[in-house]
Amino acid sequence: MSFLNQILTVPVTDPDGARRRRLLNILLLGVSVISIAVIFIVLAINQSSQDMSILIYGSLATLGGTVLIYLINRSRNSGFIASHLFLILLMVVMTFSDSPEQVATGRALFAFTIPIIMASVLVGARASFVYAAFGDLIIIGIALWLRIEPNFPAVLGFLLVALISWLSARSLEQVLNELRLMNRDLDQRVAQQTLDLTKALTREREEAGRIHAILEGIADGVLVFDNRDQVIIANAALGRYLGTPPEEMIGQHFADLNRLSELTPKSKQEVLDLFNTPDQYKSNVRVKWDKYTFSVNASRVIDNDGELIGKVAVFRDFTHEAEVEDLKSIFLATVSHELRTPLSAILGYSEMLKEQAFGALTEKQNSTMIRIMNNTRRLLAIVNDLLDQAQIEAGRMRLIQRQFQVQDLVEGLHGVMDQIAEDKGLTLATQVEVGMPETLYGDPDRLQQVLVNLVTNAIKFTDTGGIWIRLFTPDPSCWVIEVKDTGIGIALEQQSKIFEPFGQIEDLATREHGGIGLGLTIVKNLVILMDGEIRLDSQPGHGTTFTVNLPIKQS
Amino acid sequence: MEPSQLALIIEDDEDLAIIFTEALRLAGFETKTIRDGQVAMEELDGCQPTVIVLDLHLPHVNGLEILAKIRADERLKSAKVIIATADPRMSDLAEEADFVLIKPISFAQLRDLSARLR
Repeated sequence: MSFLNQILTVPVTDPDGARRRRLLNILLLGVSVISIAVIFIVLAINQSSQDMSILIYGSLATLGGTVLIYLINRSRNSGFIASHLFLILLMVVMTFSDSPEQVATGRALFAFTIPIIMASVLVGARASFVYAAFGDLIIIGIALWLRIEPNFPAVLGFLLVALISWLSARSLEQVLNELRLMNRDLDQRVAQQTLDLTKALTREREEAGRIHAILEGIADGVLVFDNRDQVIIANAALGRYLGTPPEEMIGQHFADLNRLSELTPKSKQEVLDLFNTPDQYKSNVRVKWDKYTFSVNASRVIDNDGELIGKVAVFRDFTHEAEVEDLKSIFLATVSHELRTPLSAILGYSEMLKEQAFGALTEKQNSTMIRIMNNTRRLLAIVNDLLDQAQIEAGRMRLIQRQFQVQDLVEGLHGVMDQIAEDKGLTLATQVEVGMPETLYGDPDRLQQVLVNLVTNAIKFTDTGGIWIRLFTPDPSCWVIEVKDTGIGIALEQQSKIFEPFGQIEDLATREHGGIGLGLTIVKNLVILMDGEIRLDSQPGHGTTFTVNLPIKQS
Repeated sequence: MEPSQLALIIEDDEDLAIIFTEALRLAGFETKTIRDGQVAMEELDGCQPTVIVLDLHLPHVNGLEILAKIRADERLKSAKVIIATADPRMSDLAEEADFVLIKPISFAQLRDLSARLR
């Protein structure tokens, strides 16, 4: 079949030309076969007459013509000529296919319609008219030669056939043309889409390569879980940290990872809890793992439809920072101790002198001793604040909780603060409301510190009026410390900064009021440590109210 | 004249030891100052103090061990123990000791407190 195809097809670029040439070749093949068949049939009948000889020679001539036309048709630029030659050959064959009478006006007339119809397909729609006219000329010529009346209906009939051929060939060509355009369009679209797809694939590969490069390049350990909590990605850094090849972690649940056994049960639970309820806003979990300290963060991976498709956990090596923090808190604790000891001594010696252990003092000596003592106390308070803050930052602040008397708390506060308020001419009053329990469970020393710091702050920023403290229980589950002053108040934009460490230090007001701005930070941290919350209401010029809400605990 | 009463000051810090000693002296006691835990353990066997000012953080033997020894000794039963510590968490010790004072300790407070114990 492919051999036949090869013979029939002429390789030219114009699709119409190729179609016509191929059609011409098929027709040539058909005519050749018919010619050969005629020759064989005539030879087989073996009836020698003049008519038979003519038939054989005519067939041979036709065969020769078809071969010649085929060769012409094969050559590159002569398809048009070959088609015309073929049609002329047909016309000639038809002219001599019967007796002249029959050709001019008889049964052979119809044979001329064959080249007329073929012309429309082989050469072009309009060529039908050329061959209809050609046919007309032949039958009129023969009729004139025979001196008979030309068959005018046949003449008209040929033109009519040409018209029909023209119409149908034209519409066929239009349809073909449209089809071809559609094809071309389709081809273009396929090509475009192929290009797009290739680009997208390349992009995806590049993207994947980039992500891979990032994952392998970063120092943080990364674990990605699918929605069944199985590891699908573990990067090289994590493998390095845990001493396990990353590929060995793939497919495992976090809880099954071998090296997990080295975590303390508490850390393990913390990490698992974090994975089970990942929240990018939640603070991270810090765990000691082998020789490393990690800060572990986890978050959900949600697709565009809001479906949970997995989780990502990031293990940041916090070892160095943790060591630095440890060193810092050890350093601070040491320094604080070393500062406090001589300060205590100064305070003690000053008091000793003031209390006249070595004899009576003059008025000036006495007031100087008082000033030395007050300054020493201030310095001591700052050192204590720094130590507390260092402990809080290092997470080492621990509450020592026990049952205590609320009244002791109030008396302790007034014992420390009354003199200071009085020196400034301020009222300091505490009201324990009906309903407050007489005893509470908590850390009385730290609660005292909360109260003292809040009142110290209030006195610092109040010049006239006073400070009113109220203890009450809004409901049986909690109790409230309210510290209200008639001081200068806090502007709204300052209110968020006020609990930050050293938050007051930039404030000009503070410079004249003294202190290093840790008091309220410590208060807030202690309140958080006690599972409570603190808020403030204030307007510049209208005083400030701090409200501490604490849970009532049953030991 | 009343018989002199002994106050034992067990404190390793030199300055605080001087201050405490002075406070107790002004309160009317005869004083003995010891700055080492081990020495304190030995000295306790040979004397009969009325007041013992005890620091908890001491070299060799810590204050809690000394407190336990005092409380276990029938002979020292009447001695009043004043704990002097920098750690506010130690105020729980008040049940075993007679008083707990948190450093920095007021000279006047210590003097007045011990004067009442004579």
